[in-house]
Amino acid sequence: MFQKLQKPTQDSAHRRRILQRKAILGVILAILAMLFVACGSDTADTAEPDAAAPEVAAPEVAAPEEAAAPEAVEVEFWDMVWGPPEYVEAGGSLVEQFNAQSDGVHATYQSTPWTNWYQTFLTAIGSGTAPDLSTGAGYQAVQFFDQGAILEIDDVIAQLESSGQADDFLPGTLERLQYDGHTVALPWAIDIRLPWYRADLFEAAGVEPPTNWEEFRAAAKALTTGDQYGFVTGGADNSGMHLMFVLMFNNGGGLFNESGELDVMNPRNVEALTFLSDMVADGSVHPGSAGFSNDDARKAFGVGNAAIMFDNPGHPNRYPEQIDNIALLSPLEGPHGDKGTISWVNNVMIYKQTENPEATKQFLLWWSENQKALWTEGNNTQIPARASIAADPYFQDNPLTKMIIDEYIPVGKSTGALGSGISPVLNDIEGEGVMFTLAQDILQGKDVVESLQKAEATLKSLVGE
Amino acid sequence: MTYNRDRNKRRKQLRRWGLFAATLAIALVINLPVITMILNSFRTTEEILTSSTIVPTNPSLVNYNYVSLNTSFWSYFANSIFVVGSATLLVIMAAALAGYALSRFRSRVITIYSRGLLLVQMFPLVLALIPLFILLRNLKLVNTPYSVILLYTVVGLPFATWMFKAFFDGIPRELEEAALIDGASRLRAFGLVVLPLAGPAMAAVSIFTFLFSYNEYLVATIFLRSKDLYTIPVGIASFMQQFETDWGSLMAAATMAMVPTFVMFLFVQKYMMYGAVGSGVKG
Amino acid sequence: MSSRTASQQTPDRSARKKRRTVWFPYLLLIPSAALIALVNLYPFAVGFLYSLEDGTLIQEGSFVGLQNYLDVWSKADFIGAIWFTAIFAFFGVFGSWAVGMGLAMLLNQEMPARGFMRVAFIVPWILPSVVVAVSWRWIINDQNGLLNMVLGWAGLDPVYLLSTGPFARFSVTLVKVWRSFPFMMISLLAALQTISHDLYEAASIDGAGRWQSFRFVTLPHLLPVSVVLWILMTIWSVNDFDTPWLLTGGGPSNATENLSVIAFKYTFQRNDVGVGAAMAFVTLVILMIFSVLLLRAQGDED
Repeated sequence: MFQKLQKPTQDSAHRRRILQRKAILGVILAILAMLFVACGSDTADTAEPDAAAPEVAAPEVAAPEEAAAPEAVEVEFWDMVWGPPEYVEAGGSLVEQFNAQSDGVHATYQSTPWTNWYQTFLTAIGSGTAPDLSTGAGYQAVQFFDQGAILEIDDVIAQLESSGQADDFLPGTLERLQYDGHTVALPWAIDIRLPWYRADLFEAAGVEPPTNWEEFRAAAKALTTGDQYGFVTGGADNSGMHLMFVLMFNNGGGLFNESGELDVMNPRNVEALTFLSDMVADGSVHPGSAGFSNDDARKAFGVGNAAIMFDNPGHPNRYPEQIDNIALLSPLEGPHGDKGTISWVNNVMIYKQTENPEATKQFLLWWSENQKALWTEGNNTQIPARASIAADPYFQDNPLTKMIIDEYIPVGKSTGALGSGISPVLNDIEGEGVMFTLAQDILQGKDVVESLQKAEATLKSLVGE
Repeated sequence: MTYNRDRNKRRKQLRRWGLFAATLAIALVINLPVITMILNSFRTTEEILTSSTIVPTNPSLVNYNYVSLNTSFWSYFANSIFVVGSATLLVIMAAALAGYALSRFRSRVITIYSRGLLLVQMFPLVLALIPLFILLRNLKLVNTPYSVILLYTVVGLPFATWMFKAFFDGIPRELEEAALIDGASRLRAFGLVVLPLAGPAMAAVSIFTFLFSYNEYLVATIFLRSKDLYTIPVGIASFMQQFETDWGSLMAAATMAMVPTFVMFLFVQKYMMYGAVGSGVKG
Repeated sequence: MSSRTASQQTPDRSARKKRRTVWFPYLLLIPSAALIALVNLYPFAVGFLYSLEDGTLIQEGSFVGLQNYLDVWSKADFIGAIWFTAIFAFFGVFGSWAVGMGLAMLLNQEMPARGFMRVAFIVPWILPSVVVAVSWRWIINDQNGLLNMVLGWAGLDPVYLLSTGPFARFSVTLVKVWRSFPFMMISLLAALQTISHDLYEAASIDGAGRWQSFRFVTLPHLLPVSVVLWILMTIWSVNDFDTPWLLTGGGPSNATENLSVIAFKYTFQRNDVGVGAAMAFVTLVILMIFSVLLLRAQGDED
């Protein structure tokens, strides 16, 4: 199974390495077996099963290839749990719709839980049982591509371009899935972080919705009274990290400069995080923030203990009874007039292990064109990546989604901004926790420059500088 | 005389009820997180996210309805029972034999085996996932309950072996010796004389093995791919979506998984008392 | 007690029956040894291999010898994780042992509904870890949670126990104690039942009070079991990933990262399986040394 992942040009080096690996493995097994038989000459029979079992299982013994199905080619699609149970249902019935329409290709839909998603995909790829295609985390495609497990879809893009459909993808979305000269996955939805506020609390305090950072800080201060705080964020999970990016991008900064090099200590970043640090010093940030999960922060917001928080587009749906009290700020202007927030282009990727790349691509194209029901019936709360779907009245008639599409999507930036494209290191940055440690440092009132320097050191080791 | 005995009896009675009250109070305090779970299972996720009280203001059964009617909870439950039950059976069979060997025989191999059991506990499972997956795929066990059964068996084995050893240590060997003198083989002596006495130990081992594997999530989520094989912990995790978690249903499902287990334990709890490990590890 | 009888009788007996019985114990070990070997040997070997290479989990790297083992010590977060692991394991083990011991003593008394009580105390063990984590979060880290409600009655400001480093360390360990004491309790309760009443009677005839009979009868009797429980619980605490991860994700500011969390981070999040595996094996060696020392200390006392 390791062969499958290897590029053909590296064949001999690879074979040598396999041999080396085999030799080491053999030595280790021998030692272990000896440990087990250590001192019992009369125990030869007990030792046998120990030594025999691993041999059967050695990875070099390739499992017999499954015979291809006689009539229809199977395509296995793993879709993450992107929404409520309706979403899973909508996804399943879409796949059935595909199966009814297409001859020769039969797709299966498997809903994949988010908890431990990375281990799920790693074990699947590592053991040669990856699906044909899947959705996944924002930078999953590029990271697995880098490790030789994802198939580039340049031909799919060419096909889309020739049919004129490439223009249907929102500006920048296709570009944001390029790495090393290849497009590694197809966009389907955009996730983004937005500043939501409690209109009722604003009204009660007589505060106007802020339009820039100065007003934002003043508003948060004015809204802090008794057991109510102006601003809350999760710090103990990804939401803290997201806030870091929101602030840096809103001030024209970012972890990387335009040529894609690390630029953590640039003055815009320092200024952005100092802004948050000042708000913490003002006492207008909920003191539980550093240890809150995103849901804890939502709870504080929902109860009315906090007036502003950053969250995803589906935020208001969580509080059906409060929904009239929840509103969205227009994009804030930073001190230098910048606007910006973090967004991710979620995507569908094809695995190199697929035995039927053509059928898989056929399914991918169909899925991309026909997935509107994931929103209209599946209640997905992200923003569709295709303009034709985003133009549907379902989105345009809802003032909030319309506002997000018109005002926020254009200023959304990727984790790798200000650099263009994406790279495997972004997955490490998002996963490693360095950015949420940074957020927790600042929420606990630690020194901005020192905290940033600490983060910079970790980031440098991640990037390999 | 009679008066005194009565008073003594009453005092004893009073003491017992005093102890009962104290224990109950401690049990309530210790189980506060459990009570939190149960209370929240009676409110919707919206209410959980917007209410500032601890006790539900308008308790409802909506989560329970949803979980039992609109999800496959009962199939998760049946899967859990099957997986854990089979693992428990296997553990009892293998560990009774090994525990007997550890109890009655001494040799360096046996000592090494006994220490090896400890080593097995130390190896972190996370690291073993991919090789395990390759192994079980070659055995054609992936996406079958047997993969999980096998792994839970191995996880439960060491502790069960020590428990059996301690139990057999307490059974006088004169019993087997009598059988041996009558001409029985060692195997027969073990099977016909010692094993029938081991009922309580088996019960204790079942309880522990059950507890070790009933809530396991990582292994189950990696090796059980299709929804109709999910065990309870995996089923519960599917209430956690990308952008939100249905806490109400999750709490209801967890409560529903707890109650039958609780009731079952009421019946078998007296066997927990046979679960002494003794100095089994030393071999 | 009885184990000692067994060991005293074994040598002469096996000498007499050597010819006849030598294969028998190994026959008995075959099923479990085979199961354990099947599941453990190969992953163990591959895991060790990972630690000698610089690849990722799905793309093998080249052989780097012991380089990863050297690198491990230069990682600042690794040293921090060792510290927290030690704190977490020490207080987790003794906390759960003390709580378990107290409850076992209590439940060993005659009282109405004793069976129900015993089960009531093992409930923490039968809850899924994600439920445990969130229930605790709601109690100790919520402005309107139980803890802050009680503090509010006392006129104190709210606290957020997972939001500052020292408090978070304390809370994660506390939750570990909470999850582990039922195991300690049942095991100790079972051991308590094996103490003969005669011993207590003899002690009380000698004029021993409650504390003295606990100190000189109960404790010595429970010591061998306790050592086993300490070793096992130490192993399980050091390898515990769920408790810190689900409660705090290792934060705030890495304060509650233990060796499992950090090995996980390197293996899965930084894709540096070599270093992650090396960390896991260093942990393994530490645990082995610890167990051998403890077992030996106990052996000396016997």
